[in-house]
Amino acid sequence: MRDVRAGYGQRAVLHGVSLEVPEGGIVSILGANGAGKTTTLRAITSGVRWTGDILFGGRSLQRMSTEEVVRLGVAHVPEGRGICTELTVDENLRLGAHLRRDGAEVKKDYDRVFEYFPVLKERRRLSASALSGGEQQMLALARALLMRPKLMLLDEPSLGLAPLVVRSIFNIIRNINETSRVAVLLVEQNARIALDLSTSAYVLEVGRVAVHGDSSELRGEESVRRSYLGY
Amino acid sequence: MQEFAQQVVSGIAIGGIFASLALALVLIYNAMGLVNFAQGEMAMLATFLAFALINRGMSYWIAFPLTLVLAFAGGIAIQRIVIKPVERAPVLTLVIVTLGLATLVNGIAGFIFGYVPRSFPSPFPPASLDIFGVFISWRDLGVIGVSGIVLLGVYLLLQRTTIGLTMRAAAHHPDASRLLGVQVSWMLALGWGLASAVGAVSGIMVAPILLLEPNMMQTIIIYAFAAAVLGGIESPLGAVIGGFVVGITVNLAGAYIPGVGGDLQLAVGFAIIIAVLVLRPNGLLGRAATRRV
Repeated sequence: MRDVRAGYGQRAVLHGVSLEVPEGGIVSILGANGAGKTTTLRAITSGVRWTGDILFGGRSLQRMSTEEVVRLGVAHVPEGRGICTELTVDENLRLGAHLRRDGAEVKKDYDRVFEYFPVLKERRRLSASALSGGEQQMLALARALLMRPKLMLLDEPSLGLAPLVVRSIFNIIRNINETSRVAVLLVEQNARIALDLSTSAYVLEVGRVAVHGDSSELRGEESVRRSYLGY
Repeated sequence: MQEFAQQVVSGIAIGGIFASLALALVLIYNAMGLVNFAQGEMAMLATFLAFALINRGMSYWIAFPLTLVLAFAGGIAIQRIVIKPVERAPVLTLVIVTLGLATLVNGIAGFIFGYVPRSFPSPFPPASLDIFGVFISWRDLGVIGVSGIVLLGVYLLLQRTTIGLTMRAAAHHPDASRLLGVQVSWMLALGWGLASAVGAVSGIMVAPILLLEPNMMQTIIIYAFAAAVLGGIESPLGAVIGGFVVGITVNLAGAYIPGVGGDLQLAVGFAIIIAVLVLRPNGLLGRAATRRV
């Protein structure tokens, strides 16, 4: 992402953000409410108008529609999780895999997904609206995994979840990243847990990158922690 | 008793026709949050198309599916050309656009085919079948059979195929669907095509009963509205059930309530709409509208 500016109507939200996610890496975007974290993710999947340049595997995403970006291998779990509550759990999962033609591999991925999230297997036939918040987050992750993406964009996966559930979901994200070499770009309010998971991090402040560096360094720096991360 | 049973069977037949058109209304309601006021007129035009094909000597059973294919393509074309440019416009704009479309299609049919009512062939023999003293016409049975097959086909398409799944997802959750790689805009167009074809079935089935002319569907669409509202407007299954309930009710009311036969039957359709909206606004299978705040 190079010098990306984006906004809604007249209101500019990103004032030139540049960042990079290495292949197979985990990068987190931190910052306060309204800093532009969600907008950064939405720019990548063309959910908001942007200028500058965004490259994915060497290809420019300029003027691509959301569907086209997704089909290149970007799975975006949006704010609010984007669960289709009118459909069943199983239908949601099938939507994740609907573009794939490699049936045998899809089946393997289903098995893997149910290994990570056994509760989804139990509730396959239920309406997705019957799931709890944590289960919906699991469903969103499972569905993203079934897309077999090269890059996952996760928007606040911890939002509204109990600490224990958050921990298990983050463990699974790490596991997914390690076993299938999916790169992850993670937006989080919960800086501590995000820095534990990611290898590098960017801190946004009112639409600009204020600080960036290795997660371990940021974690150690008292001043950064105090002024930007608030813990 | 026998007469009652006969009235119920013809009610089911006419109900199949209402059900098809009501299903078309629901398919589009789900895709754009609004009923398509031109649905009946589109069905009428498709029926004229079938009429023209049969008149040229084409066999009924070739003209029928061919008309459905053409209606499907026409529905997609209308969505692309007329609806897509205004799809983000306020609801009132869309209401006016579909009303205008209804007038336009009606005018086109009148211009090409004229306003003289024509008789439309039925492929089913006019004879009746005697089942335990109840006389059921082959025509009624044929209509029930054809609508049954069409409704089942739509159900299987929507519920059992991947394309049906993506159509439902696109209609209910456009933003989430885009993020899963669903081509939402095309899925909505497919929905229009499907609705147009299903509506055409109702036109072709009703034309031998009424007479074919440009205003043929204007009463049928009222009954279809009643059926869709009764079913809960969002629910395809509800629309089908609603269609049969409205068909049977209207038929029985016409036969047994003095003075309701003929033109006043339409009043029964309106009465159903009003009763549902007052007593059970979400219909039989609709969901109460709840919003998390």
